[in-house]
Amino acid sequence: MGAVSALGIGAEALWDGLREGHSGIRALRHKDADRLRVKIAAQVPETFDPAATIDERMLPLLDRTSEFALCSAHEAIAQSGLDFKRGTLGARTAVIVGTGVGGETTQDEQSRRLYAENAPRTHPLTIVRLMTNASASQISIAYGLRGPTFAVASACASANHAIIQAAQTIRYGMADVAITGGTEACLTYGALRAWEAMRILSDDTCRPFSANRHGLVLGEGAGIFVLELLEHAQARGAVILAELAGSGMTADATDIVSPSADGAATAMTQALADAGLATTDVDYINAHGTGTPANDVTETHAIHLAFGDQARHLVVSSTKSMHGHALGASGALELVAVIGALRDGVVPPTANLDVPDPACDLDYVANVARQLPVRAALSNSFAFGGLNAVLALKRAP
Amino acid sequence: MNETTQPQVFEMIAKSAKVDVATIKPESTLKDLGIASLDAIELIFDIEEHFNINFPEQQGANFDTDTAQSLVTAVQQALDAKAANGAEDK
Repeated sequence: MGAVSALGIGAEALWDGLREGHSGIRALRHKDADRLRVKIAAQVPETFDPAATIDERMLPLLDRTSEFALCSAHEAIAQSGLDFKRGTLGARTAVIVGTGVGGETTQDEQSRRLYAENAPRTHPLTIVRLMTNASASQISIAYGLRGPTFAVASACASANHAIIQAAQTIRYGMADVAITGGTEACLTYGALRAWEAMRILSDDTCRPFSANRHGLVLGEGAGIFVLELLEHAQARGAVILAELAGSGMTADATDIVSPSADGAATAMTQALADAGLATTDVDYINAHGTGTPANDVTETHAIHLAFGDQARHLVVSSTKSMHGHALGASGALELVAVIGALRDGVVPPTANLDVPDPACDLDYVANVARQLPVRAALSNSFAFGGLNAVLALKRAP
Repeated sequence: MNETTQPQVFEMIAKSAKVDVATIKPESTLKDLGIASLDAIELIFDIEEHFNINFPEQQGANFDTDTAQSLVTAVQQALDAKAANGAEDK
């Protein structure tokens, strides 16, 4: 696995930060910050240097979204030990990457040139940088991966939907390996203004499940994973980080923004069934947990619906309180947290949970990580549009 | 209180709720009027545009349960603050 996030460069930096309860939420770094109402964000540190891992000839072709994805892919592939030049592996490897909006930085910059500066032309690489599939395509090109390759877009559930699609591609025998996850870099002036207008952003910090929560804090980053057929991984003696055991996907079909407990609960129940897990097997749920008034109550209700009495015997946490809401990359950053919990027996906390909310009545691992053997876990992602995608993970076999 | 503020705000609420402006009472909540979620956010945007003001960010949380009169008061406060500061809309 590989990651770029507000908690640093690399999956290890992300996991170490999460288990220590460190927050990546800071004052917004933006050249237009003084004009914006939003004052905080969970941004990738300024020390991020794409040239440290990406061939300099490729850099002019990349939006920030693709830089994050490629750096994360590089880390994940190096860790996997796979050599895609050997035999038919390149042809048998898929690349399926989720992103909410794709090359937003490029879009915003070029729109500014055209409309604000009356420039007579856009940069010639505008299209190849901004297209939603750019991240998946650039990973494919960088490593010679010639299996099914495309982007998945479902707003805040994009990463989970992409990971599920990658797993299905392997299940159906269309690939032995898939490079998958999510990437997002959309903290542009235009996008920040659009989020401000929805009046859903917090002005202090992200406080999931806390009675004093004010809304979400935008983030950015990427998480990329090497998904591999179990037999394929075992045959080459790979170090297996975790087993993606099942998944569930539903649509609420109710409202474009207001979440539904039924849709989310059904996706969790599907994921358990697909993974062959009983509710009593699950020790941890990494919540969608955005910190908005609506999500956290609805998600709590959904967990009660899906788990019944067992809801009180498992723990739930929202790591968005630390890495922010990285939209189409969220599920991927959260999968790093779930894999860390399964491997280390440590559940990362929900930071900033200061005031218990009677409407949020589960064990949210408030503020401090907890030592707890985790046998199996769910990772929830719910998106605007009423789209739900849930992963079920087990410890490595 | 500017006497034209209330009729203007009530007119905008009525338009959003698709009801006759005479049915809007000061104590009516947006939720009572069937203005919820995105409709409420859109109404707030329309009011901000109309008066060239900004509501504070945190007021967003409870628009559904706000009354028509509380919106009028919020508009008037924003107009007063703008007049006092000579603040540019931003």
